Amino acid sequence: MKLKDRVAIITGATSGIGEASALLFAEEGASVTVTGRDDARGRRVLAAIAAAGGTAVFVRADVRLPGDCERIVAETLRAFGGRLDILFNNAGEFHPHNAIDCTEEEWDATVDSSLKGAWLMARYSLPTMIAQRRGVIINQASGWGIQGGNEAVAYCAAKGGLVVMTKAMAIDHGKQGIRVNCLCPGDVETPMLATDAEARRMTYADYMKGAANRPLGRVGTPSELARAALFLASDDSSFMTGAALVVDGGGIAG
Amino acid sequence: MKGLTNKRVVITGGASGIGAATVERFLEEGARVAVIDYDEAGGRALRKRHPNLAGVINADVADAAAVDRAFQELDGLLGGVDVAINNAAISLRHDFMNITPAEWRKVMSVDLDGVFYVAQQSAKRMLAGTGGVIINMGSTSGMNGYPRFADYNSAKAGVIELTRTMALELAPTIRVIAVCPGYVWTAMQEAEYTPEMKAAVDAKIPLRRHAAPGEIAALFAFLASDEAPYITGHPVIIDGGEIAGGLASR
Repeated sequence: MKLKDRVAIITGATSGIGEASALLFAEEGASVTVTGRDDARGRRVLAAIAAAGGTAVFVRADVRLPGDCERIVAETLRAFGGRLDILFNNAGEFHPHNAIDCTEEEWDATVDSSLKGAWLMARYSLPTMIAQRRGVIINQASGWGIQGGNEAVAYCAAKGGLVVMTKAMAIDHGKQGIRVNCLCPGDVETPMLATDAEARRMTYADYMKGAANRPLGRVGTPSELARAALFLASDDSSFMTGAALVVDGGGIAG
Repeated sequence: MKGLTNKRVVITGGASGIGAATVERFLEEGARVAVIDYDEAGGRALRKRHPNLAGVINADVADAAAVDRAFQELDGLLGGVDVAINNAAISLRHDFMNITPAEWRKVMSVDLDGVFYVAQQSAKRMLAGTGGVIINMGSTSGMNGYPRFADYNSAKAGVIELTRTMALELAPTIRVIAVCPGYVWTAMQEAEYTPEMKAAVDAKIPLRRHAAPGEIAALFAFLASDEAPYITGHPVIIDGGEIAGGLASR
């Protein structure tokens, strides 16, 4: 088991990559705090982890709110003996708009859930990690945080911000034993893709055909991203910090 | 790591440093490992340490004909290639103004030409078989400038671009990835550094230390395994945060 006796928080863990990561991290021995805004989905993830013999708690919370982030960390420390080893900032949302169409509400929802939420969670998690002299932060960025994408202005801004915020945090906290890396997925078969297809007024089949148009000829699976997150969370990546691990079937190689 | 058991793995420059640590890691993972190295004595010593190696072939990766012969020998040893770790490289420390054409050619011939020869021979076998993974040794030197290594840095930048283009052309049968380490503590470094030099380098790395060769080997193992089936076409930096800021960060 790669995460035996570790404590992990995963935001946005009630579906998609976050859910797959919560299940995998628990299977690898971590005690996991599952967070998200949807109570029913959170309970379902919790039940799945318990059924597989893992340990987890659910904290219903919105990472855009500082008070909620503080509460996620406090409840984790209370539940799991005061430790916190891994923070996976996975929460995020997507609104397909260019600069003209994007409303201020959509901009704020996108940037605050991905970028501000990741900063807030790090802010409340780091003191414990620094006291332990050991901690790992993984930020869910995107291939669109490195290259631009169409009709995704707020999303690209948030994800690009995460790629560089990852580097900045790695520089500041490396000497305290903290590693900070980001994941950059391409399209992954999650509820976010179905929502995006609808928002772009495309059939799911057409949308998925376009998304698969990349060197490996298919979209990614939540499990593939969860396994990359596991690598970054585990001691197998002990010298990696400040890095962006691109997991996109070669999507931004060309 | 899942899926490395019985994989046929070739590692160039496997006799020492990161290469030797990678040999050890893949043997631990249950792979069948063969090494290509120009250092005959080092190869014999490696063989002695790891009697379960499939073989050590003495060849210079800078010599296209020698690489061709080495892979024919490899066919006899492994019967194909599933994973190629293109690790062999050399570097010379010299000012740009003093680099001679012969020195430039020497560095390019091992660090870029050699990677190309080994990658092409490996890909030929993977395309004829069931696919595979090629991991090329890049470097943070191929992404940032470092004084006194103009030839090496240029070769490593070439390796990264070779990786991207190979990934596009060989997908989906073969995944091609570059690993870009920063400072790694190997016997080569140990011979060259004073303790003061090492401390000065460590101080500018956010993790405040060099990598152990085994830490780079762990990244090779992950990327080659079934844990990373959706990763191709990118350089993966493993540098303790060194170039997250570089000269711009105080």
